[in-house]
Amino acid sequence: MDVSRIIRTHISTAELNPPQELVDGVSGGSVALLDVVKALGEYLTSTEDEVRLKGLTFLSNLLRLINPSKVNRQATQTLTNFYLSKLDDFDSLPSALNGLTVLAKLPTFDDAAAVEVYKGVVEDVNMKSYAQATRHLVYVLFDTLLATHRSALKGMGSAFVNSYTKMVDGEKDPRNLLLLFSMDRVILLEFDVKDHIEDFFDITFCYFPITFRPPPNDPYGITADDLKIALRGCMSASPYFAKMALPLFLEKFATATGQSMKDLQQSMAACFPTYGAEAVGERGTEIWEGIKTEILYSSDTSIEAAALSALESLIRTLYPTEQTTPTGLAQDIIKECLTILDEPEKSQALAATKILAALLRASPSAGKFAISQTLPKLFRQFNSPALPSHRSPILSTISSLLIAAQSVYGAPDTFRHHAVEKSLEPFRDGLMDGLREGLRTAGLKAPAIRGAVALVEVPGFWNRTEVEDIVRGMDEILVNDEDPEIRPEVINGLTSISKIHPTTIESITLPLLFHNLPDQAPGVSEATARDKYRSILGSLSELCVQPALFQTLVIRITTKLDLLSSTPSKYDTDESMGEADYKECNIAYAWDLLNTLNGVIDAKLQSKHIDVSKYFEQLIPRLFTLVISAAQPKVGDVKPLFSDRRLLSIVARVLETMMWELQPERQAKQFAAVYAGFEKGDFKGLVHEPSQVASSSSPLRTAASVSEQDLIAVYSASVQGLKADVSLPFDSAAEYLSSKVHWTINVARDIFQVRYALEMICAFVNKREAELRDSLETVLGRIWEADVQDTTKHFEVRRRGLLVYLHVIKALALLRQPLAYSALIKIIEVLSLSNLDPDFVNEAAKGFGVLAKGKEKGSHLTAKLLYAQKLWNFVLPKLIEGDKDAQGKGRIVYLVAFASLLPLVPASLCLSDLPTNLPLILRSLSLGNPPQRANAITSLTSILETENMSKEVDQILHAQAGTMVEGLLKSALVEEDMPSSGKVRSAAVRCLSTFPDVIRFEVLHSTKPLVLKELGKALDDPLRSVRKDAVECRAQWYRYGQAT
Amino acid sequence: MSSRELDNANPTIFAPTTLHRRIDGSRNSKTKLWAESVSSDEEEDDYGLGGYGQGQDREEIDAEEVYDLLRSITDPEHPVSLEQLRVVNLEDINVAGNRVLVYLTPTIPHCSMSTLIGLSLRVRLLRALPPRYRVDIRIKSGTHQSEHAVNKQLNDKERVQAALENKHLLSVVEGCLATAGKRGSD
Repeated sequence: MDVSRIIRTHISTAELNPPQELVDGVSGGSVALLDVVKALGEYLTSTEDEVRLKGLTFLSNLLRLINPSKVNRQATQTLTNFYLSKLDDFDSLPSALNGLTVLAKLPTFDDAAAVEVYKGVVEDVNMKSYAQATRHLVYVLFDTLLATHRSALKGMGSAFVNSYTKMVDGEKDPRNLLLLFSMDRVILLEFDVKDHIEDFFDITFCYFPITFRPPPNDPYGITADDLKIALRGCMSASPYFAKMALPLFLEKFATATGQSMKDLQQSMAACFPTYGAEAVGERGTEIWEGIKTEILYSSDTSIEAAALSALESLIRTLYPTEQTTPTGLAQDIIKECLTILDEPEKSQALAATKILAALLRASPSAGKFAISQTLPKLFRQFNSPALPSHRSPILSTISSLLIAAQSVYGAPDTFRHHAVEKSLEPFRDGLMDGLREGLRTAGLKAPAIRGAVALVEVPGFWNRTEVEDIVRGMDEILVNDEDPEIRPEVINGLTSISKIHPTTIESITLPLLFHNLPDQAPGVSEATARDKYRSILGSLSELCVQPALFQTLVIRITTKLDLLSSTPSKYDTDESMGEADYKECNIAYAWDLLNTLNGVIDAKLQSKHIDVSKYFEQLIPRLFTLVISAAQPKVGDVKPLFSDRRLLSIVARVLETMMWELQPERQAKQFAAVYAGFEKGDFKGLVHEPSQVASSSSPLRTAASVSEQDLIAVYSASVQGLKADVSLPFDSAAEYLSSKVHWTINVARDIFQVRYALEMICAFVNKREAELRDSLETVLGRIWEADVQDTTKHFEVRRRGLLVYLHVIKALALLRQPLAYSALIKIIEVLSLSNLDPDFVNEAAKGFGVLAKGKEKGSHLTAKLLYAQKLWNFVLPKLIEGDKDAQGKGRIVYLVAFASLLPLVPASLCLSDLPTNLPLILRSLSLGNPPQRANAITSLTSILETENMSKEVDQILHAQAGTMVEGLLKSALVEEDMPSSGKVRSAAVRCLSTFPDVIRFEVLHSTKPLVLKELGKALDDPLRSVRKDAVECRAQWYRYGQAT
Repeated sequence: MSSRELDNANPTIFAPTTLHRRIDGSRNSKTKLWAESVSSDEEEDDYGLGGYGQGQDREEIDAEEVYDLLRSITDPEHPVSLEQLRVVNLEDINVAGNRVLVYLTPTIPHCSMSTLIGLSLRVRLLRALPPRYRVDIRIKSGTHQSEHAVNKQLNDKERVQAALENKHLLSVVEGCLATAGKRGSD
């Protein structure tokens, strides 16, 4: 390799990054570093500044890239000396510093060299004359030296510290300061700085408090908080600061406000422990005064929180252990708080409570003392209050202290234990009395619950009997209290308690709750009774998620359902109520019971409880018994409870979930029984008590009654809960599918049955695609030709055929099967026939909504990754093409199809081709059908809510903002010539309220008056929920463009 | 920290009033029979499968709704809502036809903030109620020294207009209104 030629070319073309071959050569050993330096020689020593600089930069760049082991001790020394000689050369300094930084990291660079380099820099570099970037390089070099040769620098003693403080004095750039602060901290912690503390004080505290505000779009990303935290690290690094820092803090109390006050409080919190009890104690009273003001009078909760943390730190510093006697300041603080608590209903009493709680958290001794002073007084006030209304705030104060105690003693990794400190021990009886009374008294329940739960959570404080006592008090509220606000508090409390004492809840709370559930539904007019059972069920649905309590729920609910189904259908006692009404009440009650069960199962699965499938045998055969016996042909005009479709739907939901949780072998067995029942009429294997279900023929036969046919709901649920690898009880999946298709199109009575049948077909195809693969194309073709295309057939038959066709496509599209797309083309082609067959074409366009639903929440369909993208990318171009070719009204169907399909794709996908999608979305805003418009608006909202959008997207949105707002305003109001729904108006209003955050004001400022005016009309919407959204939206638009 | 003496440095705070849950008398007993979730999870379907129609009965604006609009406005002196200070109370709001009458209760009889609070209420209702409503805001009788003067100021259209053209005043009002959207929830 011709080293000198390479170097010559590079220097002369001013390409100062060394070529890879040279780097490799040196790193690999084929080129000696010495040769390179020799070749560079003439440039390095040139008298022309420019040439010399190029040579130097080239060398530094090369050094940075090569393998460090190739620089031997001698070379290190020579190069170091060489660079040192360049330090006084103004232009060469950056390159020299770069080179030295590389060298300083080498193992061949020794302590002596480190000291030499440091001294050289300090002597030769006048910081004030260099720009930020160069100063930064100096600090980086220092930082490297500190990291690699700290002991050598330490050995320099005063010489180092003195020169260091001079070098960094006066630095102002935040980028440099961040680095400096981290170095300062290391030096303060490790070097002997006692004699130089004033200098250090000058170079650190001069920045306090930091008022830096990053410029908008700051490329360096340094925030005020970064600086504050780094500086705080320095300020709290040395105890020697105390003498100067504390007066400074006190001085700042007078002037600091807002963010700097918060900074001051947080910095004090960080510093006190280092400064130590002695120094802090001297100024303790003054510090407390400063902190107190912010807790008692501040209107900013974040400053208050900072002040409380400063107080905690102060107390922790002054009274660290149980042995430190809480004299002096702690006493004064407590005394002040007690005086404030004389007026417990005032706002400062809240603050005083927080102060006392902070004391408790901060120190075992001061905390215990605070409790011993406060609780007796509070008990006294509670028992004979000046005004009855004072009792609630007094109890709140007590509870807040208990919560503080819980947070100290109940924390998982705490060092403080109540068994040791015993701070609450003397007040055991008083607490129990007060809390028990609180649980009984209106207006005191909420604070009593909070306090009681906190005490239960203090480990070992209460024994079993005491906990039971409290639980009974809480149960009482659950059963008797009509105030809906208290119930969630009780439930939360009981749930927390059940985690520690599950058996107490199981043996006391649950029986009581179930006892209060009626066996019969309350009548139509008994709204209170209904609210009560609903409230109890609500409580159960949250409590019984706990594995220990779930079994009881299953048993009790199935018992209630059995009771309901077996009650005679005549109701004689209340004449005012017709039989239909009475039945409706029972149905609603049964539904609520089942819904509770369903909700708990879902919650358990969500928290990954594994005990759910254990309850299959206990639950499912009973549910089957209820619905199947209800569906069987009855004598006379009786309509049993469980033949109601709403109950069937909710049973189906429970069934599907439970089925899905079964192991494959058990599932196969279960499905065989289901198959025997629904196809052959043999229900023995399915039900709990075969005697109640006389064997009959298949409920799906053509002549079956409506009730029997309705059982399709539970049949469908069983199929939807079926896993793909479970063996089937029949030979031909294709034949099975065909029979279901036939039933759906030709036998099913109405939309209820059709819907379950469609879901069943979709799930079956989705799970059994492999078994069906060879026959599916034929099946689809047959449906299309025989049922869909044949215009002589009844419209409903064609529509059902289309729906079956679409559901099969959906099942396949989820798996990204090619057949899905080829089958879909037929439907897209149909869209062009809107002149010939308008009604049917409209159905086809709306049918894309079937595909858009995809895999819904809770569905057990199999969906492959990116299936939505694939489907969307297949359909969209075809719709756009069709839209282009069509004329006039013919284009609308394409828009309908587009809007119907829209929910399929997430905003990110829409964004990827916004120029194509946005115009379509905007046009969809004028469609007549409210759900389709709602789809368009929802997509638009999620597009607008996307964070960090690209520049192009931002541009398009800003260009279209006016049009969007206009389109949305139309959907936001009730207008005569446009069908509307609460959902679409609500969506439109909510979408409008995103604009002020996304679109820059100058784009829409001329639109603002119009929007405000139109929204004024939305404020008069007939629906309360829409009005609420409109109020919020209008407030947003009022703020839009106002200086803050 | 406080450069200015507060009018009422230590006002009485009332335990956060329970969130009012709407007691729904308007719905008929049939729907009440069913928990709300029954009909809501039967989403209306695009392609005409099942689904119950949506009720389009008009829900009128009532005192509770007006209260809901006002309760979470922040007091100009403390970081506490007007609801917590009992400056606005549900009982003191009357809605009849196109008229809304709100009585506000100052925390102390010499409270100089009453006008400002009244102004905040007025601005909020101006923005959040349909324009057909005529809004009256009054000091609750016997709770303020200069009740009459404040009432006059609050209900004089031109004075309100003039006050809102004062940039500083408007920004204070906006500050109070910033929390209005919470509507009683934390």
